[in-house]
Parts: sequence; structure tokens; C-alpha cells
Amino acid sequence: MKPAHDILVVDDNPADVALLCEALAGSKHRSQVNSVSDGVEAMALLNRRDKYTNAIRPDLVILDLNLPKKDGLAVLAAMKAGPELRRIPVVIFSTSQLRSDIVRSYEMGANCYVSKPGNLNDFFSAVKSIEEFWFSFVHLPPRGE
Amino acid sequence: MSGAGIKLELQRSAETKAKLQVLLVEDNPADAELMLRELRKDGFEVSTTVVRTPGEFQRRIREESPDIILADYNLGEWRGVEALQILQAEGIDIPVIMVTGALGDVAAVECIKQGATDYVLKDGLARLPEAIRSALREKHERSLRHQAEGDLARKVEELARSNADLEQFAYVASHDLQEPLRMVVAYTQLLSERYHGKLDADADKFLGYASEGAQRMQVLIHDLLAFSRIGRQDAVSENVDCKVVVEEVLQALASATRESGAVVTHTVLPAVWANRTQVAQVFQNLIQNAIKFRGKEPPLISIQAEKAGQQWRFSVSDNGIGIAPEYAENIFVVFQRLHARGEYPGNGIGLAICKKIVERYGGRIWVEAQPGSGSIFKFTLPSRGPDERVGARP
Repeated sequence: MKPAHDILVVDDNPADVALLCEALAGSKHRSQVNSVSDGVEAMALLNRRDKYTNAIRPDLVILDLNLPKKDGLAVLAAMKAGPELRRIPVVIFSTSQLRSDIVRSYEMGANCYVSKPGNLNDFFSAVKSIEEFWFSFVHLPPRGE
Repeated sequence: MSGAGIKLELQRSAETKAKLQVLLVEDNPADAELMLRELRKDGFEVSTTVVRTPGEFQRRIREESPDIILADYNLGEWRGVEALQILQAEGIDIPVIMVTGALGDVAAVECIKQGATDYVLKDGLARLPEAIRSALREKHERSLRHQAEGDLARKVEELARSNADLEQFAYVASHDLQEPLRMVVAYTQLLSERYHGKLDADADKFLGYASEGAQRMQVLIHDLLAFSRIGRQDAVSENVDCKVVVEEVLQALASATRESGAVVTHTVLPAVWANRTQVAQVFQNLIQNAIKFRGKEPPLISIQAEKAGQQWRFSVSDNGIGIAPEYAENIFVVFQRLHARGEYPGNGIGLAICKKIVERYGGRIWVEAQPGSGSIFKFTLPSRGPDERVGARP
């Protein structure tokens, strides 16, 4: 069996995080979901600062845009500015379907943009598809280098 | 404006003995005296200033704002016509009556062109008082009209602003409502799925109602957002070939058309000046309605266009259930429905969207229908954009 993948979910809505975990529960990928609820926490975890010195660097970041303290685009910018963090694929996962948000996200190096579907089944299949795509088909950058 | 009102005003000014401020542009004192005598004879209380040079004239009209100006045409060093030009340059509205010796037709026309209200010949001074009265009356009417126009412009601006506010409100409200509602929808669905059959029958039913309600609200909010977006700035107008648009719409509706056995025909369709997506939306909503509200027979839908001045008048007619005339207006109001949800699905937003789109381009939409004998929806769209504002239309 393949080793489990780590996903970092950055989202301030616990209900969405719970739905995301629901969607991934029982999947063959056995993804480990870690979540933080604001942009500052996200950067601390990714840089293994403060209480996160032993944190595992995620294989994939699922990033909401509307976040307290440091918003999603700022997190994205910070990640893409660092030589190590920039290789971690970032999926923007937001309710916004605004053209400007989509364009900005790609301009700043997002790997894809998925809007959160309003319907449960669509939400589940979006999350499952993200997992399936990144962990079944994609060659991720080697870990720990 | 009623003549009675003006008469009253003139009477009142006579009663209060307010003197008529007359500015005389005249270099001949004898002529000036003759004019004043004529006025007094007619009962005018007059206070007069006489000016002879352009500089003096300019100063007086600025400082004294007289009620009326009586100007000679030939003034030795300058001409009365120049006084008209000065007045115009200063932007001051004081009626001017040219009082002249023999004045040729050409000069007379020139005076009127330059803004003189009237001209009176010096050997016909008896006409002067009436000329003055009529000039003052005109001035009064002009100022009333001016005021009314100002009021109207302000009202239009206010209305536009409050409309824009309302649109912004609808947009923000519906946008922000989506987020919490998404949670309600997702979690009632999750509850229904996970606990179906594990609670009692009532619980399943209740969860079903809650879930359906939340999902319906989601659709409503989605529609409301779509509706409020129509007025927003980002839809650019272009020359849109309606034949191409209609064919694309028919392709998009292919399965609905097939299932209902609908036959859609159209004559030659012209190009209009509007936003492409919005034009497609209008045709799509009308064709969809024609299919949805069909009668017992398979739908026969025909689309036509005819020129009506600067606009094209389109019609989409069907052989469906029709509409009672008393509802012909209501159906274009947002969220207005004539049928129970179980009978015909939908939120009652389709025609409201059509109306908003068509009116955005200065067009009109209406229905000609009878219950049981089909409907004809008609709407107009501009045939081409105003050339000087091509591409600049909001």
C-alpha cells in the first residue's frame, strides 16, 4: 500500500473542513488531513515555526481565499515566494466565482481553482476528484528534499 | 404654465409698486425720453439707467440685473447687436428688445438670431409696452421651465442612484447569503443521507422538507444574483447576429425540444446592437417558456422579426396554454408565478430577466395572448448602436 499523503486545509469554516474530511473518509488514498483556520497559522505550519516545529510538510494545500488575519492570496504569494514552499501544489477552494479572484489566483501561481459546490454530492465529488487527481495521476515533487 | 399665474404675478408687482428696472442702451436722449413716456403712459412704474458704451453696459448688467433691456440698433460707436453678444457671453438671461429706426429684414433677423426677444420701431413706440409685457412673460415661463427641468434632472439622478444602491444591495445580499446557505444545504443533505431510515418516518419527512427548502432557496438566490447582475457594467454591447444566437440557443435546448416534440422555426433574423450573452438569454428564456407551457399538442414555436424604426421587433409565438390578459403585466415581475410549483417548475424569474435585459437597451417586451390559444411574446432591441458612442454603452 502506498504511503498516506498529507493535505493541509486552510479554511476558517469548520463546517467546510468537516465536510472535506467526510468526503475523504474511507478513500483508498488514506490522506491525512490537517487544518488551520487562518493565513498566519498556515504560514507558521508550512515554515515549521512556533508550535509547528514538528509539523509535516503537506503534499497538497487546499486553500480558501477569504481567511482571517492573512487572506488566501497572501498565503499563496508567500508560498510561491519561497524556494521550498513553492513546489507544493496549491488548490484554491473557495465559494467565490468572481473572475477577478480566479485570474488573480492563477497569476499568483495557484495550481488550480475549484469553487465550492453548493450541493453536498457535488461538493463530495469535487473533493474526491481533487484527491484522486493529485494523488493518483500527478507526479508530486519528491518529499523531504 | 397658465397665463393666469403670470397675470397674477404682474398684477402683484404693480400693486407693490415695484418699479420696472429698465436698462436703456441709447445714445439719443430724446429717443430715450420718448420711450419712457410711452411706458409711463401705459401705467409702468419705471426706473431707468441709460448706458452708451459696451464697457458701461457690461458693468450695469452685472451689477444691477435689470428686468429688461431696450437697445438701439445703431449706437454710433457700436451696435445693439453687440450688447446681445455681451449678454450671451456673460450668461445672463435678461430679455432684450431692440428699439430702432427703420430696420431692414436682414438686420431684424440677425437681432432675433442673436437672442433679441423682439424689436420695436421708433415710429411705432405704442407697441413697446405690450412687447415688454410679453418679453417678461416669456422670461418668467423660461425660468419656470428651467426650474422644472432642474427638478426633473435631480429626480432622475436620485432615482438612478437609488436604483444602483438597490442593485448593489441585491448583489451583496444574495452573494453573502450563499455562504451560510451552502452549509444548511450540505448538512441537511448529509443528515438525510446518513440517517435515512434510522430515525422514524416523520424525521425522514422533516429532513426532506428542510433540505428541499434550502435547495430551493439556493436556486432563488442564484437567480436573484443573475437578475441583479444584468444591470452591472461588464456586459459590452456589440453587433449581434440573432440568427446565429437563436441557432446556438436551439442547440443548447436540443434535448428539451426533442423530448417535447417541439418544432421551432424562424424567419430571416437581423443583427441587433446589444450584449450577445444577454440576447441569447432572452431568446432562450422565451423558447424555454414556450416549451414548458405547452398545450396538449407538441409545441409549434415560430420566431420572427420586423423593422420598427431604429429597432427590430421580434416575436416568439407558440401554441401553448396562453395567458389570461389580466396577467399580461404580472408575468414580467420578478418571482411572479401563475401556476403551482407542482404543475410547472420554475421560480418566475425568466421573464423578469428578459424584461430587464430588453429595457437595458431601451427596448420593450410584452405579450399578446389568450388563455388556450397560445402566446406571442414581442420585444424590441436597437438595430444599431449610436455611432458616437460605439463600444461605450454600459
